[in-house]
Order: sequence, then structure tokens, then C-alpha cells
Amino acid sequence: MTVLTFTIILICSAFLAGLLGSLTGLGGGVVVIPVLTLCFNIDFHYAIGAALVASIATSSGSASAYVKEGITNIRLGMFLEIATTIGAVGGAIIALWMPTNIIAVIFGLVLILTSAMQMRRKVDHTNVVGSELARKLKLYGTYPTKDGEKKYELTNVGGGFSVMLGAGVLSGLLGIGSGALKVLAMDAAMKVPFKVSTTTSNFMIGVTAVASAVVYIQRGYIAPGIAFPIMIGVLGGSLFGARLLKRLDVTVLRKIFVFAILLVAINMIYNGIMGKF
Amino acid sequence: MELMNENKKMQQLIGSTLRIGVMTACCIAVLGGAYYLICHGSEPVPDYYKFHGEPSSLTSLSGIFGGLLHLKAANWIQLGVLVLMLTPITRILLSLFDFAHQRDWLYVTITMIVFLVILSNSLGGIL
Repeated sequence: MTVLTFTIILICSAFLAGLLGSLTGLGGGVVVIPVLTLCFNIDFHYAIGAALVASIATSSGSASAYVKEGITNIRLGMFLEIATTIGAVGGAIIALWMPTNIIAVIFGLVLILTSAMQMRRKVDHTNVVGSELARKLKLYGTYPTKDGEKKYELTNVGGGFSVMLGAGVLSGLLGIGSGALKVLAMDAAMKVPFKVSTTTSNFMIGVTAVASAVVYIQRGYIAPGIAFPIMIGVLGGSLFGARLLKRLDVTVLRKIFVFAILLVAINMIYNGIMGKF
Repeated sequence: MELMNENKKMQQLIGSTLRIGVMTACCIAVLGGAYYLICHGSEPVPDYYKFHGEPSSLTSLSGIFGGLLHLKAANWIQLGVLVLMLTPITRILLSLFDFAHQRDWLYVTITMIVFLVILSNSLGGIL
């Protein structure tokens, strides 16, 4: 295969990965890893490098709109980024000695958790009484709804912070945004409204991914020949996905995709256990 | 009310920074990529099936910038990756100035910690 054909196939696959990532809400990086390793047989290290590039691009691209609309809680994101960046540094160090096959199994498990999170019913917490620490850290906020600005409080800062540390480690280890864990930390532990959790998580992914990307680029994980088709394709796919989301109801489509992701997860775990990476 | 307007302005600025950063990175990657295909398009695909690590001309700042002058396509693509990585970092610095402007020293400290973690990681990453 020549570089030209390889690049064209990669751009098309990355476009699909970006589309899938944005329609399911899983994010761009998550789908890139199985596509590169399972379909293209590319080494796991290069796949992690490419996933980081995809995560930063899609997170920054979509966060832009949510920040402007005032849904993102910038203070909350900033505070929790302490946990995710420190975690990401830890994850990048662990990745140095951890065998790729084990990383593949962990990736499969994270994929299953992520899909499970997508199936969950989304109910917003009402009348949350915020904790003293959250008030001192000025984490309370407002977000726009149909009936105007709505105020919210939040609680369990310590719990959320610890889950974020874990999310950071996984991001550093796998090169993905681990948005599902971030939403879990804010939504389930801290009782932040769902819309604010997802957009703030998205906002944080870029910074978390950069914290480990600065290590990975120096270790030679980011190959230009893979990075540019992935960046262009994933960005195009996720922008197209965002357009589609506004126009049509994707509930059924989403269920099919989540099911497909589950199959991919099982495949990754199986291949990891069999030592194929 | 004054503070509300200030907040709105900052949200707009951060939002625009993220968008412009990603778009610039993508443009550089498209141009660099097209140039890369012109130079190497007909060659066989490099061995990505086993991890070798990229050469130091593509992994260090001096290496990447050195190759830009010699018009090496791969280095121009890496420049796009660098701009992409700088986008969230710029966003952190903007927040830092904004919190300082609001005299919110607690958040100046928090933002500073995040920035230092990334900075120390990029300096220590060679180890």
C-alpha cells in the first residue's frame, strides 16, 4: 500500500470515528484506538498518540460553543483539572512499564463503562444542598435553561476530586478523554446538573490530554503520517455529527452504536488477553 | 451586573481562542499533509506495525523548528500538532489573567498549579 492510499483510507475511517464519537457522546479519541489497532494493525503506541491528538481537537472544538453559551462551569473545571492533570502525569508514567496487552484490556473495560454510562437514564438532581467547601471554592453556578438562568449548588468535593484523579490516570494511560468517568465524578458524586457535567467534562478533556501529550510527543508516539489524517478526519466527522444531532433524532442510532462499541470492547479485551498487541 | 458582563466577555474570549486554535492547527495540518503527500505519496507505508518511536527531529522543539526551515513536510505537520497542544494551554493562561483581573487569588493559585503541572511535565517528559 502506498502512503497516498493509506492516508485516504485513514481520513475516511477517522471521519467515521469522529461521527460515531459525537453521535454517541463518547468523544473522538475513544473510537480512534480500536480503529487503528484492530482494523489497521497499527502499533498500540502510535494509536495512543493519535487518540490524544483526536481528543484535544474534538474537545476544544466542541467546548468552544458551550463556553460561549455559558453552560460550562469554568471554575469547577479549573479546580478539577488539578486532579486530572496530576492523574494524567501518573498515567503517562505507568504506561512506561505496563505491557501493551494489559493496557488494551483496561481500554476495553473503560469502553464498557463508557457504554454503560450512555445507557443510563439521565435525571437531574433537584434541591441539592451544597457543601461548605464547595461554597468556599465558589463552585456554585448558573446555567441557561428554557425558563431562564437556573442556579445550582453542589456537594462532595473530595469524592469528585478523587474520581477525577482516576479519570486523569486513565487519560494519561490510554490517550483518551475518559469523559464518562468525568461525568460520573460531577454528576453522580458532586450532584452537578447533567448538562453542566457533560459540557464541563468536555472543557476539561483538552487540558487533561495535553498534560500527557507533552510527554508522549517527546517519546515519539505521535507520528506525523498518522496524526494529520486523524486530526482532519476526526474533526470533520465530529462537526458533521454535531450538525446531524441538531436535525434528527438519533436515539435508535445511538443504541445501535453503543451496542457496536460493546462488541469492540469485548474484541479488545479478548485480543489483549491472547497477547495480540 | 458589571461582573456578569465581564464574565460574558471572558466566556466569549475563551470560546473564540479554542475555536481559532483548533482551526489554525487544522489548516497547518491540511497544508503540511498535502505537501507530505506530494513528497512521499507514492512511497510504501512506513512500518507502523511495530513501535520504533519517531526520530528526535520530530519529538523535540528544536528538532521540529529546525526542520521547518528545511521545508520538511513531517515537521510542518508536527507544527500543526504543537499549535493544537498550545490551544488548551492558551486557554489556561487567559483564565489566569482573568482571575487576576477579578482579584480572585484563590483561583489564580488553582490555575497556576494546573499550568505548572503541565509545564513541569513537558520539561521532565524527556526522562
